[in-house]
Amino acid sequence: MPPWSDFEPFIVSGLALGGVYALSGVGLVVLYRATGVLYLAFGAVGAMGALIAWSVQQAGAPGWVGWVTCVVFAAVVTLGYGLLFGPPLAGRDPLVKAVATLGLTLVLYGVMDLLWTTSGGEARSITLPTDNGGFTVASIQVDWTQVIGLAAGVVITVATGAFLRYTKLGTAMRAMANDREITATLGVPVRKVEAAAWLGCGVLAGVAGILLADLVALDATTLTFLVVSSLAAVLIARLRSIAVTFAAAIVIGVVHDLITPITSLTNYRDMTPFVLAAIALLVVSRRQVISRSREEA
Amino acid sequence: MRIRAAVIVALLLFVLFGIPQLFSLYYVDSMTEVAVYSIVALGLGVLVGRVGLVSLGQVAVLAIGAWAAARLLFATTQPYPVVLIEAGLITMVAGMVIGLPALRLRGLYLALITLMLAGAITVVLDTINFPNGGRGFLGYNGSAVTPPPIRLPSIAANDKAYFQYSVVVAIVMFLLVFVHTRTRPGRAWAAIRQSEPTALATGINVTLYKLWALALASFITGVAGGLLAGASHYLYSIDFPAQNSIILLAVVLMGGAYSMWGAVVAALLYQFLPALLQNWGVSADWLTILFGLGVVQVLTTAPAGLADQVPRDLARLGRLLRRRLARARPMGPMGPVGPAAAGGDPQ
Repeated sequence: MPPWSDFEPFIVSGLALGGVYALSGVGLVVLYRATGVLYLAFGAVGAMGALIAWSVQQAGAPGWVGWVTCVVFAAVVTLGYGLLFGPPLAGRDPLVKAVATLGLTLVLYGVMDLLWTTSGGEARSITLPTDNGGFTVASIQVDWTQVIGLAAGVVITVATGAFLRYTKLGTAMRAMANDREITATLGVPVRKVEAAAWLGCGVLAGVAGILLADLVALDATTLTFLVVSSLAAVLIARLRSIAVTFAAAIVIGVVHDLITPITSLTNYRDMTPFVLAAIALLVVSRRQVISRSREEA
Repeated sequence: MRIRAAVIVALLLFVLFGIPQLFSLYYVDSMTEVAVYSIVALGLGVLVGRVGLVSLGQVAVLAIGAWAAARLLFATTQPYPVVLIEAGLITMVAGMVIGLPALRLRGLYLALITLMLAGAITVVLDTINFPNGGRGFLGYNGSAVTPPPIRLPSIAANDKAYFQYSVVVAIVMFLLVFVHTRTRPGRAWAAIRQSEPTALATGINVTLYKLWALALASFITGVAGGLLAGASHYLYSIDFPAQNSIILLAVVLMGGAYSMWGAVVAALLYQFLPALLQNWGVSADWLTILFGLGVVQVLTTAPAGLADQVPRDLARLGRLLRRRLARARPMGPMGPVGPAAAGGDPQ
């Protein structure tokens, strides 16, 4: 076991990573609750946004243009997908809707591999200006990007919670999560509410894409499949509670990074989200034999 | 029925004896992979199409089979069929140990947990590597400069013979699944797919038959892994990336998860098309894009996949042409009577 001082920097990086996972997870949960779609293309959309941002910056544009492009791209693609394929699949099983978003993932993945060739290319990276500054807490170096990562997670979770609770649109989304047909009967513009959820999720995908490209790596495969870590958090929350999603995401991020300095386990650290999600799901599912809930039928 | 059987036999004879003679070694190797992946696709088809369990981790299961077979082939001198069966059984046990708790989940949750487990298996394989003739339980020698290739069966020591060998094994696996679908398990699976509570109410042991499907799918995928070990000579963990499980699900849905022909179509899409495109100098990324579009298309318009859609569309085209011809000839007193009701899409 290495000394505690070896673990200290990893707490910070773990919290930052967990914050971004939380942000992604909250986006996924809200969209799932509002539309019944588990958006598995979340990572791919963010990854492509980040790659576009990189290209924009390479072309000489100032950094913020790239970041805005990334978020706009992710939002437009997500909203476009939702408007185009949301209605025809609305009545289908949640599994079918989720697998359809895997189709979008594959399309984006293929395009990314085609346009930003990985083999023999230069290593790409996105650096935010916040990487350089920072401060020291109890002899641990913290940079501002890490602060943004965690803060974004906290802010988005709290803001989304308040939004769902206190605004008209949020109430409509919660109503749709309970029953789409009855909500429509009550005069809620179902399509518009869904479009808002898609748009919000897309914006979060773009933000997560930029942050993860900086915190982890700017690489199509890595970023596309990092969504799996957020998915694990979402699964632990049973696709329901954004508070549990937040907590689970933070735990996944911190545990993943804390394992890094332990030599015997470091190669297995990427298993953290899978193992935690598997344990949580299997423990939770022990009590249900036949599900009566509508969304699983 | 008799014509159908004759067509199948003729097709198989052509595949077994025609392809090795007519095609270059490049395509024969690619067709060997098609034979292997048709078994994998068949296993996934059993899960998705028969029982309604969507697995996003079949490539990881395939990797387990390939690992077990490679380890056995290096460690023992057992005949090849024995190794294949053992690899299948090991994979079956692994699949059931992992699957039994997961079977409590259903639908979306089950699909996601398979994605998680596949990710975990991929991480483990990245660390322990595939056997390359080294010592110890893992059989990996990290310092081997020229590791020995995985041995081939003595009766099929060259690539063309190994292709025929793979096709024969694939036929056996297809027959195994065919027998299952035509007997009690097949009927139980159909009932479970329709409605789990109803199946339970009619006295079907839902857990048993779900586990049975999982065991069958894992077994044949393990055998396919054994074939793949021989076909590729050397195995590396990067050959089994997690995204391939997604692509595999995509091609199985495109090919058609409900029919056994769908598995063959899926394997051709997954392995033969890339080989063809590579030969033409087209990037395989176009295929990934195509598969992505294909999944969305299949899910929105043709749930039974290409194996169902193409013959139906061809039949529809045939009817249309016949009607056009009938209209061109001015002899019929009745004339065409609008769109035939029989051509209606069941969807």
